[in-house]
Amino acid sequence: MVLNHDSIKPIYVQIAEWLETEILNDHISTGEKMYSQYQLADMFNINPATAAKGLNILVDYDVLYKKRGLGMFVKDEAKENILIRRKNENLKQMVRELVQEADYLSVEDEELMEMLKQIRQERRGQS
Amino acid sequence: MSVVTCQNVSKQFGSNSVLKDLNVTIQENSITGLIGRNGAGKTTLLQMLAGMLAPTSGNIRVFEENPIDNLKVSANTIFVDDDLVFSPEMKLYEILSSAEMFYDNWDSEFANRLIRYFGFQTGVFHDNLSKGKASTFNAILGLAARTPLTIFDEPTTGMDYSVRQDFYRALLKDYMNHPRTIIISSHLLNELESILEDIMIIKDGTCIVHEPMEDFKTYAIALSGDYEKIEKVVNESRIIHRRFISSNHAYVVVKELSGSEQDCLKQLGVTQTSVEPAELSMYLTNETKGGIDDVFKQS
Repeated sequence: MVLNHDSIKPIYVQIAEWLETEILNDHISTGEKMYSQYQLADMFNINPATAAKGLNILVDYDVLYKKRGLGMFVKDEAKENILIRRKNENLKQMVRELVQEADYLSVEDEELMEMLKQIRQERRGQS
Repeated sequence: MSVVTCQNVSKQFGSNSVLKDLNVTIQENSITGLIGRNGAGKTTLLQMLAGMLAPTSGNIRVFEENPIDNLKVSANTIFVDDDLVFSPEMKLYEILSSAEMFYDNWDSEFANRLIRYFGFQTGVFHDNLSKGKASTFNAILGLAARTPLTIFDEPTTGMDYSVRQDFYRALLKDYMNHPRTIIISSHLLNELESILEDIMIIKDGTCIVHEPMEDFKTYAIALSGDYEKIEKVVNESRIIHRRFISSNHAYVVVKELSGSEQDCLKQLGVTQTSVEPAELSMYLTNETKGGIDDVFKQS
């Protein structure tokens, strides 16, 4: 992954999201040791304090846990917790924005639902 | 622990007041970027920390001592800028070996690797190096000295783009292996920002921003849209920069925008984007809210 330094998203959030994706894709398994702040700093050429901030978010989100003196490890229920949180926070926020735009353009409920269904079908057809 | 403390520090050169009542502290083991316009007082501040200049008034403590004529501070501090003066009779290898004698933590193995990587012949005189090469050599001294307080004043002057990238990466990697307190002043914030922990901005001799780099990235938001609409939500005191693209369409940089204000602006059709730290620091250090465009305004 290449960090986007121009994004409105802070670097540490981008790091946390990348680590979550690595866990979801099984590149880092549950129970395994997570990269240290120094490894991440070296990988992405960022200050280790920024990398630590990314790791600490994932501790707050119940994705990682600290073992004293050993570093951070992936929780057993990490994947579940990532999915639940992304659904409740990210996806809901996106839907909120979607609905806001629909209101702005005076798109009725049925039309909006129809658009959603259509796009889902298109995606299924592709895969 | 704080390595550097400045309390009400002022510095005057004749009638020219360069620093005014400056208060800053810098914590141990961090990389701080010192940003400011030409003449803002960056070099004066850094030279005072290194004990090269005394303040006109106020109190400076480095390692809890007064840095002037202080052997403890000199042995634990290196000050690197683009015109370090060495005896004209000294060749590069002699400079390196005298640095080794003076600095306890000097790593000659590391210095030699850097010297080889950047393609130096150590039998030449420092005076005969090109501007970029001299800066690179000085930067190597600053890195290999590994002093608990390492000060770089515009270290990349004259370096080409790839040498600058190499230097920043070398600085970050060596800092992680050997944590220490590093202060680096530069005009080129965008090349430097990712390795910084803290940013300090100096304007007209006072410190206007000193906070973690990650916080600084969300310090302000840029709005683009109908100015009348923007004006309704944002009051004048929070506007950092304002530029009119057409008679009513404006680009405005504002600080402390709340979530509800952001939603409100979004509904009014005002576009919001992030502001790059380099751009933001430029606006913050401008004398007027309109920047150079104000010069061309017919009033």
